[in-house]
Formats: sequence, structure tokens, C-alpha cells
Amino acid sequence: MDVQSFTAQDLFTWLVEKEDFLLLDVRNDEEFGRFKVEGPYPIDMVNVPYMEFIEHEEESVAKVPKGKKVMVVCAKEGSSKFVAEILINHGFEGVAHMLVGIKAWGNLLSPIRIGGGSDYELHQFRRPGKASCSYGLVCGTEMMVFDPAKNIDAYLELAKNKGCTITRTFETHRQADYISGSMALNAKHGVEIVAPEVDFQVATFDFTPAGDKTVYRFSNGGPEIKAIHTPGHTPGSTSYLIDNRFIVAGDTVLIYSIGRPDLGGMAKEWSKLLFDTMTHKILKWDPSILALPGHYTDWKEANNELIFMESLKKIKEINADIYAIEDEDTFYTFIEANMRQQPEEYAKIREINAGLVTVDEENADIMDLGKNECAASQMAK
Amino acid sequence: MRDDINVDKALDLSGLACPMPVVKVSKGIKEIEVGQVLEATTTDPGSLTDFPAWARTSGNEILKTDQDGDTIKFYIQRKA
Repeated sequence: MDVQSFTAQDLFTWLVEKEDFLLLDVRNDEEFGRFKVEGPYPIDMVNVPYMEFIEHEEESVAKVPKGKKVMVVCAKEGSSKFVAEILINHGFEGVAHMLVGIKAWGNLLSPIRIGGGSDYELHQFRRPGKASCSYGLVCGTEMMVFDPAKNIDAYLELAKNKGCTITRTFETHRQADYISGSMALNAKHGVEIVAPEVDFQVATFDFTPAGDKTVYRFSNGGPEIKAIHTPGHTPGSTSYLIDNRFIVAGDTVLIYSIGRPDLGGMAKEWSKLLFDTMTHKILKWDPSILALPGHYTDWKEANNELIFMESLKKIKEINADIYAIEDEDTFYTFIEANMRQQPEEYAKIREINAGLVTVDEENADIMDLGKNECAASQMAK
Repeated sequence: MRDDINVDKALDLSGLACPMPVVKVSKGIKEIEVGQVLEATTTDPGSLTDFPAWARTSGNEILKTDQDGDTIKFYIQRKA
């Protein structure tokens, strides 16, 4: 039977355009509970695991409301097609299933232009499956990428459309929650990696240490990119100030909360570093600078154009309870009160991001799937 | 470690992708008597959470799960 199909990109487009449809996730309840599709607006979504369709077909079909288009997703596309066929046999119309499966959603990057100057353009690559953001800075025939995800084709595609080559990537820190694309860009396209030495000293690949206050430029000038050490989330965490207007802040400055300093098992020490960064750096920066976060917790943090970007002034207001803390001990008390377990795969992802361990594509996809857990405090729902 | 479980039927589901392992195990379990044990071998990592979810749905019991490299063996007792 021929079943209509759609891609993860189609799904994101429909969510953004508020299309009316039912999203039927047929993964088992454990996988569904761990990770589900999120979008900028409420989603009409139900979870009926495919094994229930196998065991109790009639009852399972009855759980799917009729009258809307039904878009079926599963782990790897086989089960979504299987369930779509069952629904069609029961008279459902407008049924389609997602190609590749949930990992395609996990890997999806959606670029959007967020600003620029006379000679450059800045793009945000939103990753709805991870709730993370990476950035592309285009100037002349060169493009530089900040915190690339492993789906490097998305960056290469933008570069191609702009008539550019990717020349350099900047890592804000050694990530624990997703596999970086820098190594692949370096290995396949000879891209230079600029990364904080403290985080990457164990790395097995070549990189250029990001020196504090070092300024990077394009070969024809263009906007200035200034590295600023902002330790705390990790000891090496570095932010990159672009054209004195935008700061790619990694997991240091977030729109909601602040990057958690307890992921390395040294909460007290790193919390101290973060407090110092907050009081001596972030709070002293020009409040009109626009912060570009590495992660978000909720789509509510995006602006009307669905861009994750906010002035430091506004961020200090949103997080007044954090930025108003005046001493280290109170800051640590706040961190400690919000500490929670980190996903078990984070330790291994850290090793992969230093080149210490390699995994095949399938395992990389499995480890890389899931929303980030990088903010110090969780948003009240 | 297998001597404590007496296998009544074995299914080799190696190389199959979902939903086929669950489809076949659902069928296979109906071909043994209540109380008997089905051994199912898969190579799909998804079955590690899919088989327990299927067992809960179908009311059968996974007595043991053995993992050796990419190969996973489930020992499932028919309960219903």
C-alpha cells in the first residue's frame, strides 16, 4: 500500500504555520515520555504505541480522533507506516507518516536570518528537537559557524546558497548534551576549529585555542569577532562578541535562567567561576548587546519572529532573581537548590566531542536524541 | 545461565526492523501454550524498550533479557 509521507522539515513548517492536524506518535510510552516533538505553538498530539495497534487493533484505532489529518511518527519510519496503513484501512483520510523517524526531527536544523551589518549576515540555526541554537556568520565568500551540531549539511547548504565556504568554527565550550559538528567540518572540509583550551586540552584533534580578548576577522575584514572567557558552565566557556552588537554566549547567558555549572561534578568550584563571570563580566557588558543563547528551555523564549535573541538588559530583568544575587554563597545555594541529575549519556558525549571516543552514525543518532538539560533552573509550567 | 529457563519455541528475528520483530513475536507467542517460554533473538536496539512495552500491552512476561554485542535475546513466558 502506498502511504503518503512527509519529512521532519515539513513537520516543522506545519508547526510554525499552525496547520491543523493530529500528530500521532506511535513509539512506546517510555520513549515518548523521554522525548517528544515540541513546537512554538500548542500541538494536538497523542501517543498510541504501535504495539497496541498490533495487540488491540480496534481499541487503538478508536483512540485516534477522526476528522483531522493524521501525521504519524515513530522511531525509524517502519512502525509509523504500519500504523498509517491500519488507519487507512479503517477509513481514515489524510494520513501520512514521517520519513526516517524521530531522529530526523532530532537532527533538524532550521536557519533564520537574525541580523547583520553593511557587510555581514547573521543566521540562527534553531534545533527544535534539542532546544538548542547554533549560528552562521556570513561575510563575502566566507562563513563561520558557532557551536555547530553534527548535522553539518544544514550549514553547508546555507554556505552554498550564499556562495560561501565555511572557513572556521567556534566552540563556546565542550558540549555535553550534543555531538559537535566541528570535527566533521574539519575532517571533511578542512575547517579551522577555534575552541577554549581548558575544555579541549584532552582533544585528539587540532584546534586553535580561543584566547581571551583575541579578535578574529574575515580575510577581507568584516565584523570583528572577539573571544571573551566566561567560565562557569564549564571552566573553558568562552563567549564570542560579534561586531560589538551580538554575543554568542553558549550556555553562559540564556534567555531563561543561566547555564548550569554542575554538569562536571564540581558544582561548588564551577559555581564560583560562574558567579565571578556574572558579576565581573555579564553585568558590566553594554546592556543593549543582543545575547544569542546556545539553548532554550521553552519556545516561549522566542520573539515574534520565532528567533531566540534578547538584549542583556531584558535578560537581567527576566532573571532578576539570579542576576541580583550579591554573594557567592547565596549563588551556590541557588545552584544547589536547582541541581538535578544529568542524562547518563552526557559523559560519553563529552568524550566524543574531544575525539576520545568515536561512535557510528546510528549510535551517534541515539545518543544525540533528546532535549538539552543545560539550564540551571527549570521553567515553571 | 540458561539452564533455569526451558525454551519451548525460538524465533530468530535478526536483521528485522520495527514493527516486524513485535509483529512476529506477537504471532509466535500465540503458537505456544500458556506457561511456555518463547526465545526471541533480535538485532534491533529499539526492541530493548519495545519488547517490554509489548509485553505490558499483551499481558505476557519477559523472564530474562540477554545482550551480547548487537544481539539481544528475550525469554518470554506466555501468560494470557
